[in-house]
Amino acid sequence: MEVTLLVQAADESFTILEKARVRAVDLMNTAAKLTSETRWMEEKRVRAIFRGARESRAGLQNFVVTFVILFVFWALLSGKYDAFHLSLGVICTGVVAWMGHELIFHNVRAGDMRVIAWRFLKYIPWLFHEIVVSNFHVARLVLSPRLPIDPNLIRYRTKLESDTSMVTLANSITLTPGTITIAIENGEFIVHALDRKVADDLNAGAMEDQVAHIFMEADHIYIQDVLDVARIFAALR
Amino acid sequence: MIYRGEDIIIRTISRMLIPFIQLYGLYVIMHGHYSPGGGFQGGVILGASLILLLLAYGYQDAKSRVPEKLLTVFSGVGVFIYAGTGFLCLVLLGNFLDYAMLAKILHTDAAHARSLGILSVEIGVGMAVMAVMVSIFLDISTGGVLPGEEEEKQKTAEEA
Repeated sequence: MEVTLLVQAADESFTILEKARVRAVDLMNTAAKLTSETRWMEEKRVRAIFRGARESRAGLQNFVVTFVILFVFWALLSGKYDAFHLSLGVICTGVVAWMGHELIFHNVRAGDMRVIAWRFLKYIPWLFHEIVVSNFHVARLVLSPRLPIDPNLIRYRTKLESDTSMVTLANSITLTPGTITIAIENGEFIVHALDRKVADDLNAGAMEDQVAHIFMEADHIYIQDVLDVARIFAALR
Repeated sequence: MIYRGEDIIIRTISRMLIPFIQLYGLYVIMHGHYSPGGGFQGGVILGASLILLLLAYGYQDAKSRVPEKLLTVFSGVGVFIYAGTGFLCLVLLGNFLDYAMLAKILHTDAAHARSLGILSVEIGVGMAVMAVMVSIFLDISTGGVLPGEEEEKQKTAEEA
């Protein structure tokens, strides 16, 4: 008799404990969800402030840079440097730059452009060096009588974020002998590689790091973010 | 119907190339009286740049940059510039498109007047050709009914 009572009591206490545990877990989950939601909203608000600070200057600067690049292109094409043709050039370039500056510079922030342009210029010799190195590698593969190639398709998940940087990486991969980018699907590169070593080089991700560095993406710091924050803090103070 | 292209590479590269293509088209028009090219060729290049934009981005995303009504206006204005230059020469007691007569109102010698007259004709031809090219492309690809207009047409039909 006493034993059954004891067992019943033990059972009840276990169910009570179980219920308490379930409620505690529920509470914790709700709390976690609430914090993540508020944090998301907070982040969104801060991002909106950043965007406002950027877009004021970015539009004009994009227009001016587009105008200069297009006018150089016009001068190279035209080859006539009298006042009449140059003024025609200014008018045409102005119209095209007005219509197309958002097309060339999509999502570029005001201060970023100089940094990106400079890093891109430094990237070109590096890419050229890569091309020469893998040129020799592919030449050795092709010239050796056994033809030790091992063609395969590799899927390569990238950490890059924007269209421009992905296209830069894709074209760099295609320019490098031995590898060709076939498609980009949802941030996943499908690359044809001529042999194992070329594929391993790609998977090591040196080129991706360089491109991420140019466009200040993934784990590479946004210099401009720091500058923007400094300006906003100064205004708030 | 033209849908948005799937390929990021094609979309991004065409986005960056389109201003250069347009500037090249304008160059061909503006130097038509000095070098090969002219109104028609330049107009086709300009139209091709807009068609490339439509193909890469689809009608929905690109329609703000290729306004259908403005294209109609452009084709009309282009023909007007061409014919207007011709009739202006006629009014100035010359033949149709006799540019030398323009010297009287431009205060230059006959050779310069010819050059400027040809330039204005070529600008007109270029505008008309560009607008008509894109209009033809839109008409063929959408079967003459643009999305958005479809509902309006149905509404008017129901009301009637």
